[in-house]
Amino acid sequence: MDRRTFIKNAALGSLAFSLHPSLAGQPPAGRQPNLAYITGESPAAITKEAVAALGGMKRFVGRGDVVIVKPNIGWDRTPEMAANTNPDVVRALVEMSLEAGAKEVKVMDNTTNQAKRCYIRSGIQEAARAGGAKVLFTDDFRLKKTTLNGEWIKEWEIFSDFLEADKIINVPIAKVHSLTRLSMSMKNWLGALGGPRNQLHQKLDQAMVDLAAFFKPALTVLDAYRILVRNGPQGGRLSDTKVLKTVVAGTDQVAVDAVGASFFDAKPEELLYLKIAQQKGLGTYEWEKLAVEKRTI
Amino acid sequence: MASQAFFFGLFVYLFTISHYTGQDYIEKTVERFFHFDPLLALATIIASRMVFASLLLAAAVVILTVVLGRVVCGWVCPLGSVHQFFAFVFKKTKLLKPKREDKSSLAWKYYILIFVLASAVFTLDVAGWMDPLSFLYRSFAVGVFPGLTHVFSGIIGSLYSLGLSSAGQVFSQFVGNLTLNATFQQGFFIGLVFIGAVLLNVKKERFWCRYLCPAGALLGVFSRWNIFKLRIDADKCIKCGLCTQHCQTQADPYPNEKWKSAECVYCETCAAICPTAAISFPVKAAPEKIGSIDLSRRRVVLTTLLGIAAVPLFRIAPSAKRAHQKLIRPPGSLPEEKFLRKCVKCGECMKACPTNGLQPALAEAGPEGIWTPMLVPRIGYCEYYCSLCSQVCPTGAIKELTIEEKTRVRIGTAWVNKNRCIPYVLGKPCIVCEEHCPASPKAIKFVMVDTKLPDGTIARQKAPVVDLNLCIGCGICENKCPVMDEPAIYVTSVGEQRSEKNQLLLPVIGEGIPPEESGR
Repeated sequence: MDRRTFIKNAALGSLAFSLHPSLAGQPPAGRQPNLAYITGESPAAITKEAVAALGGMKRFVGRGDVVIVKPNIGWDRTPEMAANTNPDVVRALVEMSLEAGAKEVKVMDNTTNQAKRCYIRSGIQEAARAGGAKVLFTDDFRLKKTTLNGEWIKEWEIFSDFLEADKIINVPIAKVHSLTRLSMSMKNWLGALGGPRNQLHQKLDQAMVDLAAFFKPALTVLDAYRILVRNGPQGGRLSDTKVLKTVVAGTDQVAVDAVGASFFDAKPEELLYLKIAQQKGLGTYEWEKLAVEKRTI
Repeated sequence: MASQAFFFGLFVYLFTISHYTGQDYIEKTVERFFHFDPLLALATIIASRMVFASLLLAAAVVILTVVLGRVVCGWVCPLGSVHQFFAFVFKKTKLLKPKREDKSSLAWKYYILIFVLASAVFTLDVAGWMDPLSFLYRSFAVGVFPGLTHVFSGIIGSLYSLGLSSAGQVFSQFVGNLTLNATFQQGFFIGLVFIGAVLLNVKKERFWCRYLCPAGALLGVFSRWNIFKLRIDADKCIKCGLCTQHCQTQADPYPNEKWKSAECVYCETCAAICPTAAISFPVKAAPEKIGSIDLSRRRVVLTTLLGIAAVPLFRIAPSAKRAHQKLIRPPGSLPEEKFLRKCVKCGECMKACPTNGLQPALAEAGPEGIWTPMLVPRIGYCEYYCSLCSQVCPTGAIKELTIEEKTRVRIGTAWVNKNRCIPYVLGKPCIVCEEHCPASPKAIKFVMVDTKLPDGTIARQKAPVVDLNLCIGCGICENKCPVMDEPAIYVTSVGEQRSEKNQLLLPVIGEGIPPEESGR
C-alpha cells in the first residue's frame, strides 16, 4: 500500500483500539470481569492469576483494611485429602492482601474436628503464617448474638472477628455433600458461626442462603485444585479426590458456586440452595452469560 | 530442695507435653517416670505374667535404693515434693505442729504393699490407685489441671468483660494451644481425694509418705543394706530432740540406735536443724544396729490372705461375664482380662486424648476397673487419625499403634435410635451423623423413609443406617448428633475387635465383603 493509506489505516486502527480497549486485552474501569476461571500447575500461581484477572487485589482490599481470609479448615485431614482448602491458595490470598495494603490479615475457621489438629494437619496454619497472616483459633468468648434477618435464621451467634473485619475473602474448597449435594462457597459460612450449628441441617439450603446474604464477601475464591468427588465432606481416600488444578474467583458467590457445580457434572438449577439464592436476588447461577476470564497458565 | 524442684518440674513438663503438639507421634517418651517405678513394674509384671520391656528400667531404681537408701523418695518423687511443700506451708502457718515424739505405727504402708503384691500374684493389679506417680498424674490430669482450665476460662472472660479484648484473645489463643481437657466425670471426686491427701499434711508432716505409700514401703524394704548411715556425734549432741521432732518421715534420728534407715528419705532436715551440727551421714557399709520396721508377723499373714481373698471378691462383678455396653476402651487396648492386669490408672491416656473423650470408669468395668479409661462419645469422640493414647500408655495396656493401624481398629459399633432420629420421627432432613463419619467409604448409609405426620401428610427424607462392616465405633456421630440430651445415634462396645465374645456379626462362609466396600 502507499504511505497515505498506511497512515490512514493506522489512525483508524488506533481510534478503534481506544474505543474498545478490550481488543488490546485491558479491561476498562467499570467493565472488569467479575468471574475468573484459571487452570495451571501451581496453586499459588493460579490464585494470583485469578485475582489479577479480576483487576488485582487492590480492587477488593483497601489500604489499612483488616481482612479475614476464611478458608475451610474444618477437618482433621492432610491437604491431599481435599477436605480443607489448599494451603498454597490460602497463602497466596494472604500475601496479595498484604501487598494491597491490608493492615492485618486474619485466618480462622470454626472447625468440626479438634481445632489444633485441623489447623496444623491441613497445612493452613503454617502456610498462612508464612504468608504473614495472624492465624487464630475461633474464641467462644468472641461470639456475638447477631440479627441476620434471614428467611429462616433470624439471629445466630457469630464470631465478632467476622463482624468487625473490613473485608472478608471467602476461600472454600469444592466438595460433595450428602445433604446439599455440593459444599462450596455458600456452605463455607457455617465456619463463621458458633452455637449448635448441627441444627441447621433441618433446613440447610435455606440456612446457607440466609448466611450468604448476611456475609457480604469482598471476594470469593473457590479452590478446585483438588476436589472431593466421593464420601464428602471430608473423604478419606485419595480415590475420593480428583485433581483439576483450577481456581475460580469472583464477586458473585452464586456464580462462583455455579461454575463449581460444573466440576461435578451438576446443573446449577439442580442445587436447591442456588435456586433459592437466585430467587432472592443474591446473584446469578447463569454464569456463562457473565464476562468470564478463562485462562490456562 | 533443688533436686526435688528439678524432678517436679520435669514431671510437670512431661505432663504438659502429653498431647497433640503438632506431630502425629510424640517424640519424647512422656511416660518415662512410670518406667522407673518399681511398685508398678513389680505389680504389673507379676499380675500380667508379661514383661513390658520399658518397665525393666525400674531395676535401676531398685539398685540405687539398695546402695543409697530411699533417696528417690527424698530427692526425686514428685508426690513427695508436693507433700513436703504443703507440710512446709502448714508448718509456717502453724496449722501443723509436729509432735516432739511420735510413736504412731509406720507399718500401714507395708501392709498396703503386701496387699498389692499378694493380689498381684493372683493377677489382680491394684497398684495404680495408691502408687504415688499414678496418684499424682491422675490427680493432675482429671482434677487439678481441669480445674485450672476453668480458672483460665474465668480469667479470659474477665479480660473480655473489662474491655481488654486483645489481652483476652492472646491468653485465649495460648490456652487453646495447650489443648487442656477440662471435662471429666468423677473429676470432682478425684480432685477431692487429691486435696484430701494434701490436707493430711496438717495432721502429720508427709502423712502419705509415712503411713500410706506402698512404693515408699517397697523402697524401704530394699534400703536396709544401704551405705549411708545416720550418725549422731555423741560429744556434740545436746539431746534437744529437734531432729526427731522435725524428721519428715518419722525415722527417729535420736537416739542414734533407734534410727530407722528404711524410713529415712535423706532429706537431711535433721542435720540442718541440729543446733550443734552433730548429725552426719557417713558411708558405713558394715551393718549396724538400726531400728527396723515393726511388722507383726500375724498382721503380715493376715494382709497376705486379705490380698489373696480380694481377688475373687473383685471378680464377682458382671463385667467379667458380659461386656458392659458403655465400656468402650481406647483403640489398641488389650483384651479386657489382660488390660485390667496392666492398666495402672495413671491417666496418661486421658490427658493425651485430643477431644477429652477418654474418661475414668466407675462401675462399667467392675471394681477392678475403677478409674481405667473408657471413651464417652458425648464428651469426646475418638479422633480418626490420632493414636496418642496408645503412644503414652506406660505399661502397654494400650498397645502402641501407628496412625494407619489405628484407623482400622474397631472399638465399638454405632446404633441409630429410630425413635429419636429426626428424619425417622419428624420427617425433617438431618444427616449430621453421616456428614461427620470419618471412614471412607462412610459407615453410615441412607435409606429413604416415609414418616406419617400429624397433619395427615407423609414426609420423605434420607435417613441414616449404620453399615456394621465399616463402623469402627469412633463415636463422632453420637458426639455431633443434634438431639443433644440423648443422641439418636450412639456407640456401644459390641463389635470391638479386641474381644472374642463381645461380637455381633458372624461372618458367613461364602459371604465375603469385597475389599473396595470394606475400606480395609
